[in-house]
Amino acid sequence: MKSNTLALPARVKPQTRPTLYWTLADMFVLAKRQLVRMQRSPVDLVIWTLQPVLILVLIRCVFGGAIAVAGTSYVNYLVTGFLVIAVLLGSGPTGVGMATDIKRGLVDRFRSLPMARSAVLTGRALSDLLRSILIALVTLVVGLLIGFRPAGTVLEWVAALGLLSLGSLLFIWLSALLGLVLKSAEAVVGAVVIYSYLLMFTSNAMAPTSAMPTWARAFAEHQPVTLLISAVRGLLLNQPDAQAAWQALAWCVGLLVILIPLTIWAYGHRTVRAT
Amino acid sequence: MNSNTLALPANISPQARPAFYWTIADMLVLARCQLKRLRRNPVDLVIAALQPIVLLVLFRYFVGGAIAVAGTSYVNYLVAGFLVIALLLGSGATGTGLAEDLQRGLVDRFRSLPMAKSAVLTGRILADLLRSSLIILVVWAVGLLIGFRPAGTVLDWAAALGLLLLASLLFSWFAALLGSTLPSVEAVQAASLTAIFLLMFLSNAYVPTSTMPGWLRAFAEHQPVSVIISAVRGLLLNQPDAAATWQAIAWCVGLLVVIIPLAVRAYGRRTAQAA
Repeated sequence: MKSNTLALPARVKPQTRPTLYWTLADMFVLAKRQLVRMQRSPVDLVIWTLQPVLILVLIRCVFGGAIAVAGTSYVNYLVTGFLVIAVLLGSGPTGVGMATDIKRGLVDRFRSLPMARSAVLTGRALSDLLRSILIALVTLVVGLLIGFRPAGTVLEWVAALGLLSLGSLLFIWLSALLGLVLKSAEAVVGAVVIYSYLLMFTSNAMAPTSAMPTWARAFAEHQPVTLLISAVRGLLLNQPDAQAAWQALAWCVGLLVILIPLTIWAYGHRTVRAT
Repeated sequence: MNSNTLALPANISPQARPAFYWTIADMLVLARCQLKRLRRNPVDLVIAALQPIVLLVLFRYFVGGAIAVAGTSYVNYLVAGFLVIALLLGSGATGTGLAEDLQRGLVDRFRSLPMAKSAVLTGRILADLLRSSLIILVVWAVGLLIGFRPAGTVLDWAAALGLLLLASLLFSWFAALLGSTLPSVEAVQAASLTAIFLLMFLSNAYVPTSTMPGWLRAFAEHQPVSVIISAVRGLLLNQPDAAATWQAIAWCVGLLVVIIPLAVRAYGRRTAQAA
């Protein structure tokens, strides 16, 4: 007996759920995959965590005595700044990982699966956000060991964590965009190192902006890393700086609104061409 | 007619000259080869020059305002020290270049030629001296642009140049030792980056050692890079520091006496092993 229709067993049929459900579910699956990968290569995680911590300790010892800051001790000033620097430097592996996954064809394999295409980006952003928060936590602990004495209420700490996460997301999407636009992992590492260090040195992480010449100060006082640092610093040292907090929020949200669609576009572009 | 002796044409037989003549002549040939390679990779050269310039500008304008130094302006203090730091940063390429040549088999090919074995090392280091002169010139010019105002007599400047070239020699031989001791290009790169980074920051290049905590100060004051910087700074700012100058010369000569035989031995072993 011949039949032109092939009867599928009932349970292969995809479950009928709204698209949003699958977008989120697939994001969680890929975030979990990323976290498992991090666990399996602990050396990478340790290296990326050590980087901000070592620089923090080095600057504390070498520059600590020579730089005077108003209103608090230098170690308080530096550690609060370095929480932001930690999530900035911690966003490096995002772009490197994106570039490597595309090059190795992993993303192409995902495309052959019935899953939300956005999950590759959103899953990685979610897992990397967790990693950045972990790196910031390690920095905080090391900071406490070298003399950081925070102040502030629980509410202020929560607000600082929120701002740090938002800033971290901004750096992660920027890194992901670079990972998609630049072709090789080496190029991504180079680019990430250059902009991370430039943003770090031209911010108020190490020295107050008031000591800079006018043109340098004009740039330093208005770039997002400085504003994030001012806001987090104000919250953790109980000297809230509402203006910096709102400006930092505006920078993060504004840049994310531009960066996310750009990254998604670059991702679509890159994966279509790859076929 | 049969003959067991093969008559060589007269002009192929090596010219009878003392071995010393060939040591020098081969060194000059390989130095020229290095300089040609440098010219053919202008991007490498530009990146090598940009690295110290960017650091110099960042410290001058974004960090320096907060650092007070005694007896001179911060830009004078910084640029005088940076002449040494730029040479230190530049020496990293010597080690990685040598390791690359060893890994790619270039050195093996040289060994099949009738030439002085030492020329691979000495030629490279001679070329490095010329590159260092170029770096000194660039840092000096950028320094003048950002406000460096040297004092002192022409004799002082000549002494400073001599000291800088001696320091460059020391850094190059140290890099050559790393390049011929460590097994891979990556290992050489990691080791020289770590060494350069630590020597650069744990010195008096950026901040006076008097502001550092005691244990760090003890190291930072007596390590060769700091001593060389003190000497060069004294000569260029007309605050001659005879003790530092003699100590710097003693460090350079003393270390060269130890490092050169070690590097030559390591290189000899490496090439013997490769055969």
